[in-house]
Amino acid sequence: MSNYIPTIGIEIHVELKTNTKIFSDSINGYGMGANTLVNEIDLGYPGTLPLINKEVINIAIKACKVLNCKIRKEMHFDRKNYFYPDNPKNYQITQARTPIGYDGYVQINVDGVDKKIEIEEMHIEEDTCKSAHRKNVTLLDFNRAGVPLIEIVTKPCISSAKEAMLYIEKLKETLLYADISDCKMEEGSLRCDCNVSLRKNKEDKLGVKVEVKNIGSISNVGLSIEKEIARQSILYDKGEIFKEQTRRFDSTINDTVLMRIKETGNDYRYFPEPDIPYIHLTDQMINDALKNIPILPDERRKIYQKKNMSNINIEKIIANRSLSDYLNDMLDTDIDFQVASNLLLGDISSYLNKNNKNIFETKLTKEKFIDLVSKTKSRILTSKNIKDILNSVLESDNSIDEIISSNNISNITDDNELKDIISKVLVENENSVNDYINGHDRAFKYLMGQVMKMSKGKADPLIASNLLKEFLIKK
Amino acid sequence: MEDRLSKEEVLHVAYLAKIKIKDNEMEKYQIELKTILDSIKKIKEVTGYDDEILIAPFSEDARLRDDVNKSNVIVKDILKNVPRHSGNYIEVPVVINE
Amino acid sequence: MSRYLDKSIIEINKMLKEKVIKPIDLVEEAFARIEENENLNAFITLNKEEAIETAKKLENLEVDNILFGIPIAIKDNILTKDLRTTCASHMLDNFIPIYDATVISKLKEKHMIIVGKTNMDEFAMGSTSKTSYFGAPHNPWNYNKISGGSSGGSAVCVSSRITPFALGSDTGGSIRQPASYCGVVGMKPTYGRVSRYGLVAFASSLDQIGPLTRNVYENAVLLNAIVGMDNNDLTSANKKEEDFTRKIGEDISGMKIAIPNYFMSDIVSDEIREKIRSIIDILKQSGCTVDYIDIKYLENAVLLYQIIAMGEASSNLARYDGIRYGHSKENPKDIDELYYGSREEGFGDEVKRRIMVGSYILSGDNAKIYYDKAMSIRSDIRTSFLEAFKKYDLIIGPTTTTTAYGLDVEDPNPLKSFMDDVLVIPVNMAGLPGLNIPIGFSKDNLPIGMHIIGNDFDEATIYKLASYIEKKLNLDLTPKGCDKSV
Repeated sequence: MSNYIPTIGIEIHVELKTNTKIFSDSINGYGMGANTLVNEIDLGYPGTLPLINKEVINIAIKACKVLNCKIRKEMHFDRKNYFYPDNPKNYQITQARTPIGYDGYVQINVDGVDKKIEIEEMHIEEDTCKSAHRKNVTLLDFNRAGVPLIEIVTKPCISSAKEAMLYIEKLKETLLYADISDCKMEEGSLRCDCNVSLRKNKEDKLGVKVEVKNIGSISNVGLSIEKEIARQSILYDKGEIFKEQTRRFDSTINDTVLMRIKETGNDYRYFPEPDIPYIHLTDQMINDALKNIPILPDERRKIYQKKNMSNINIEKIIANRSLSDYLNDMLDTDIDFQVASNLLLGDISSYLNKNNKNIFETKLTKEKFIDLVSKTKSRILTSKNIKDILNSVLESDNSIDEIISSNNISNITDDNELKDIISKVLVENENSVNDYINGHDRAFKYLMGQVMKMSKGKADPLIASNLLKEFLIKK
Repeated sequence: MEDRLSKEEVLHVAYLAKIKIKDNEMEKYQIELKTILDSIKKIKEVTGYDDEILIAPFSEDARLRDDVNKSNVIVKDILKNVPRHSGNYIEVPVVINE
Repeated sequence: MSRYLDKSIIEINKMLKEKVIKPIDLVEEAFARIEENENLNAFITLNKEEAIETAKKLENLEVDNILFGIPIAIKDNILTKDLRTTCASHMLDNFIPIYDATVISKLKEKHMIIVGKTNMDEFAMGSTSKTSYFGAPHNPWNYNKISGGSSGGSAVCVSSRITPFALGSDTGGSIRQPASYCGVVGMKPTYGRVSRYGLVAFASSLDQIGPLTRNVYENAVLLNAIVGMDNNDLTSANKKEEDFTRKIGEDISGMKIAIPNYFMSDIVSDEIREKIRSIIDILKQSGCTVDYIDIKYLENAVLLYQIIAMGEASSNLARYDGIRYGHSKENPKDIDELYYGSREEGFGDEVKRRIMVGSYILSGDNAKIYYDKAMSIRSDIRTSFLEAFKKYDLIIGPTTTTTAYGLDVEDPNPLKSFMDDVLVIPVNMAGLPGLNIPIGFSKDNLPIGMHIIGNDFDEATIYKLASYIEKKLNLDLTPKGCDKSV
């Protein structure tokens, strides 16, 4: 354990889910042929001027709301000037003086204690182009140039790798549910930079700031912070002096490596962008933008808890946005949410994963699902039945009743009928009965199997197993 | 007061502007840039103004456009003006330390 | 050679309508005039084949507007699709635009015929057009004098009667000042009046495209064609359509005119001040009131211009890096050599100097010390002008402090080019419309111009006064060297 107190600030860039780019009407898309989603504005051609995509402003307003930020009603853009091949105009249009959002927070729960991670500011800017490095050349694809981003900057108020990870998880979940971004770290639509510095005592001023850039996953965020704390602690212990620097996380060695020392502060020569007039956000614009925010995860957790869903199921459902949305369509019904979530997370999820489908793309209508849940709960359908009929349920237009009858499902739930079968099985399998009595639990499974076999799979497993136990106890 | 900027000062602004200064031009820039910078420093003497800034003499709000694609530029047209490309990629000398 | 292009635009239009002449006659005549005046170096690129082809196509169309089939010259910082656009810079000397500037689309809708791209100061930075990579144009009134700049080629083209129309751009006087030196009418419209889409940016908050013409009426006609809100330019204003010729010919008595004391101070030559005073006398005799007033911070406008224009330019010209278009250093060994080499080779001295100074101005704490302060004072200048317009219809003064000086004058002072524009720069700072109208000649027969400044979006009133003065003076504005009878 380190003897130093870490102070961590996080900057997150997220690409916004729009049809077109922020300053041009080129398509905002991923995975297309190089330089096919590009026009003269994206390439910074002479004579071009930026235009503003209304949807970007709307989404940014939504982001302010869900991250509890105050919204700046009069704002403009600024130019950040720096030469880099991925920066087509050699300036980036961003918001330095008047970020759209400020003074927000994200609430996390660290080992049972609530903590607010404070957001300093949130601003709108344009993405750079994508570079691929070869041996002697770097190849530029400007499809990403001009994709709308919001950058969310926390105050230096994070004190551990764990808090950092919880913050990003919570932020990601929130942005995803509010339809702000698809937050795919692996595709770069959510990118994370961490600033880590150490100090001995709370009263000391902050230590040397080290920035770790472009970390590709949440677990690597945690890892790079831990590695930085360890690395810097050793340096301080040895009394070594080090400079402010930028590092990156190398996932092949699971450690941070030096990119560059910051000799002087970056000189970005910011000034207000003269090509874009002021934007005044009216109450009407703000209200319109906030109209369609879906129910956010924390709210869903509360709802599911009231519906007596297990915590495990709640988290699993929330981790899968479409399942959660599907389940939310059932909020006005009185189905058993635990049974419903079991069904969704079990066989239905396997089917969806296997077929690479979304639940809304199946034939499982609301009515059918309600029926399925209630028949499962009342044991008209066994788990085996469900496995058997699932494809028909999800792929055909037939009702559950029609599917049951065409699959010839009639479970033996009648005690007397079952008792007859069990008696027969016990007589025919005396050795196994003796094994059971002598403490071999496996024998019970075998006997159960025989019961199911004799009933041609129609015995209700739960009822049958209870009856079998009663019989064996009497022996 | 010196009549010229130091070489280091010239090289610093040349670095910001990404312009190479040839040895035989150095003296010229030392003197010329000094003259211009001395001139603009006179703004420090101006007083009595209001703090409100004017970014551009334009008082309308920015018009926001709909999120719809209309433009259609073909890669082939773009590549016509590109000095170096490899396939549809635009090429530069390798950039390390990204 | 026929001399149809000496006729007024109304007459030419009539002849086209009556099929006395065809557009091709005008185009051929324009190119003959270009050849005749080749030594003036007004053009960088000619558009002959395309112009002839366009003219022939027009033969099948109805003459539907007054600009139909008329040749026009375009400053070479306005993008023309498939027609080389260089900004008079080595940086772009092979640059073929993939789109038309909005103003070009508008001219094409009117079926005007672009004959070529005119010479200018490199990236519009200069007051003489001498910073052109292609050599300076010459003043048609005196071959050894400057044309002024940066829209020197456009002013020369109209002054020498090569074409009746040209477009220029004005960041700190670049239409009005060469118009004054060359004796033509040049208008810088209100900031936001004309779309800047496709105008290669020098200083975005100051740049504006405008017409250069032989007379006031034709200036208003061309302005009619190029204005309007453009969805490709957020700084183009949403204004009702209007006819800028509508006040031409109106009585000017009762007009309230102001003249800032600074504009008549000893920074202006005696000869020019004398000429302005004679105009003031005419105006008074015509029933106008003319008052001397003060505009706040007017004497600081050049200083603000240096800070704002160079600051913005350093950013606007950062895109020329040899990667996506434009001049590129051969076989660069690394990215820095590509940047430094391309820009060192591609840009001329004036441009390099301005973007270095601009970078300095925005660097670190300087942004606050210089740039923010300049933006604040700029706000006060605009306010002060707008205050004056509550009381006055127009503000007048000389356009330039001297007449065109020698092409061979080499001033070692790098600030000289700014001082040539001391009287026109304040108008760009305030975003107001301003026009140069020729009002006579100096002893050595060089044009003298008067500057008329209007209120925000009130170009029509400027044209009203200008046309009155034009009519009253009835000057012969055709340079002798070009005075060849039909």
